[in-house]
Amino acid sequence: MGKVKDIIRIFPALLLLLIAPLSHAGTDAGKETYLKRCAGCHGKDGTGNGPAARFLNPAPRDLTAGVFKWKTTPFDEPMPSGDDLYAVIAGHNAGPGWSGLGNTAMPGWSDTLSKGEIRDVAAYLKKLGGLDAPRKPSISASAGPSATAAAIETGKRLFKDRCAECHGAQGRGNGAKRLKDDWGGRTWPRDLTKSWTFRRGGGREAVYATMTVGIPGTQMPSFADPKSKKMLTNGERWAVAGYAASIDEPAKTPGTDTVVRAARTDGVLPSTPADAAWAKTAYASFFLTPQIIAGDRLYAPALDAISIKAVYNEKDIAFLVEWDDRTEGIPRDAKSMEIAGGEVEPDSVALEFPAEPPRDGDAQLPCFGMGDSLGQVNIWQWKNAVLEPLRLIDANGPRNMRERDAVASGLSANGVYDNGAWRVVFKRPLRTATPEIQFEEGRFIPIAFAAWDGSNGEKGSKHVMTPWFWLRLEPPADRTAYVWPIVAGILAFAAEWAWLVKRP
Amino acid sequence: MPRIVKFSLIIIAVYCLLKIPGVFFTRPIPASVLSVYLLFAVVATLLAMTATGEGATGFIEPIASLFADPSKRAARNIVLVIVPIAAAWIAYAALRPDDAPPPIVRSIHPAPPAAFTAYGRTIELASLTNPYRASEKENPSQFRAAVDEGAEIYFKNCFYCHGAKLDGAGHYARGLSPSPVPFRGTDTIAQLQESYVFWRVAKGGPGLPREGGPWLSAMPAWEDALTEDEAWKVVTFIYDYTGNRPRSWAK
Repeated sequence: MGKVKDIIRIFPALLLLLIAPLSHAGTDAGKETYLKRCAGCHGKDGTGNGPAARFLNPAPRDLTAGVFKWKTTPFDEPMPSGDDLYAVIAGHNAGPGWSGLGNTAMPGWSDTLSKGEIRDVAAYLKKLGGLDAPRKPSISASAGPSATAAAIETGKRLFKDRCAECHGAQGRGNGAKRLKDDWGGRTWPRDLTKSWTFRRGGGREAVYATMTVGIPGTQMPSFADPKSKKMLTNGERWAVAGYAASIDEPAKTPGTDTVVRAARTDGVLPSTPADAAWAKTAYASFFLTPQIIAGDRLYAPALDAISIKAVYNEKDIAFLVEWDDRTEGIPRDAKSMEIAGGEVEPDSVALEFPAEPPRDGDAQLPCFGMGDSLGQVNIWQWKNAVLEPLRLIDANGPRNMRERDAVASGLSANGVYDNGAWRVVFKRPLRTATPEIQFEEGRFIPIAFAAWDGSNGEKGSKHVMTPWFWLRLEPPADRTAYVWPIVAGILAFAAEWAWLVKRP
Repeated sequence: MPRIVKFSLIIIAVYCLLKIPGVFFTRPIPASVLSVYLLFAVVATLLAMTATGEGATGFIEPIASLFADPSKRAARNIVLVIVPIAAAWIAYAALRPDDAPPPIVRSIHPAPPAAFTAYGRTIELASLTNPYRASEKENPSQFRAAVDEGAEIYFKNCFYCHGAKLDGAGHYARGLSPSPVPFRGTDTIAQLQESYVFWRVAKGGPGLPREGGPWLSAMPAWEDALTEDEAWKVVTFIYDYTGNRPRSWAK
């Protein structure tokens, strides 16, 4: 009898002995996949010190820390669920051209690793981080109350009170606080108008989940924690999530645009960013990529997208250039320097055109990076500076630049910073007497952009930029395109009629 | 089943068949080729169906009856309305203002030069070989070490654009045009000799011949930032990681 009792007593241990090699097999396979696929950023030992680590912002996670940022278990449950680990590795559709964690270097692996391999890596990560299974179930972020106008209004009020300090009065992440995570790294509050940059994707549900769970290891708290002074009820969290989703600006999401279409107007061109006339034209938006081609390179950019509108009349053309920047870089300003954590350069933006745009699509262009020895570019650079805010530069490559008088070409610019967004208007006559870009109606003219965030140490060749896109001064609608189809239709009908009448 | 219905079904089936490679395998048949195939199908089916006198009458009869048979008035009127609308649409499509930007014509794998200058000397492509390739069989541990070093160089310099998955979709790739080249898959480095890949790494976008559009490429000339040894290690790594084999001269 005693023996049976003993066996029953040690049965769980026996079971463990049986299971251990099996689960071990999972983590072994996971380790092999990890070393091949993940070590480049997260490091061979998982501490986030891979060769790429110091060039990345945000930094690759230290997987041995046992702190998991993107989880769905409640705030008082430190362990992520198995699905949480799986979801971060597998990735999701994170907007145009990216399937990993939004606006990070972590790609989605579901197109490369099988489901089994991802589960093995997740098992290995649990081992690395010393993670146990969570004791509390994940929160539910579906079936929230609908976002009525009244709820959004409530959300807006609560947002001003609880969120604006970090996320800014208009949600552009331009709070007046310098934030850091538990590992001492600099973090930036999310720009809520850009849902395409959200780590786990946009939408009301995702915002609700992040507000409820918080982001462990960062200064984003859980708003469901009753011990917090910022606690919000479930309904209030849904209201704030509804408001946050309502300020998203999908019209300024980059991805598919290739042409800035300047609209023709007969009136006076808007000359300030606030002019109501801009509302009549649509944005073209582009990704900004850091300059990592030559010279001083920028690896951790702070700016990610730029949006442009353009209008023209018979004499002039005006561009409205907008980009979100969490910091208004004011050189030598104490507050700016405190947020930047050092010297501040002026924020800046530039438009670039080939001095002589090609007549055909396959003709040679100057290099998009400031031209080359064969092709000159004209650069219009505006700076947030009192002295010399506008420069006009002819360039044949970064080492061959000549500055020219902007006033002589009739070029003017003025910029306004408001709640995390720069808006700069450039204006110039369509035609000038100097040999430089001339704007002709109906033609496709190459155009490229660059921007500098002075609070991120960006100056000179350290900046973000775009490749060549197109500018087209849209001609007024051609009515003959509608006349001939009508004529063709009438003729066809007349022919039918004649044939019918002639039939016996 | 009336012959005209049979005819329509055959043409629709052929059209669907021709669309399969594009819809399911992301390898669409070019529209111009597709329309030629479709034309052949229409002509061949028409010929086969109207080869006999009986067949021809059977084919034309439903169309003729549309106008002869008073009970088919409604169908006839619909045809009478559709024809002018189709004529107008064709005219509109031909005259519609073309506001698509001009296409960028550029060769992705332009012909390499016979020789190029890098690292202070003239390098001939024909005799250029990867110094680590021989060690793959002769000294595997030396080869593994080169691959591991190549991986480190890749993650410090290349992965921003060419991606952690070597799929050409790094986190900066979406802001670049043309897109960075993927290394996995069988249609890029698997089709090239290592000497060609080394030339591309060393000379980058600025070293492209004119047909490669050097003014569009964001690829740096790596001879300025990587040593020759480092460049070879990274080339060795991208083949090893993707399981691709470099092309070589038949022996």
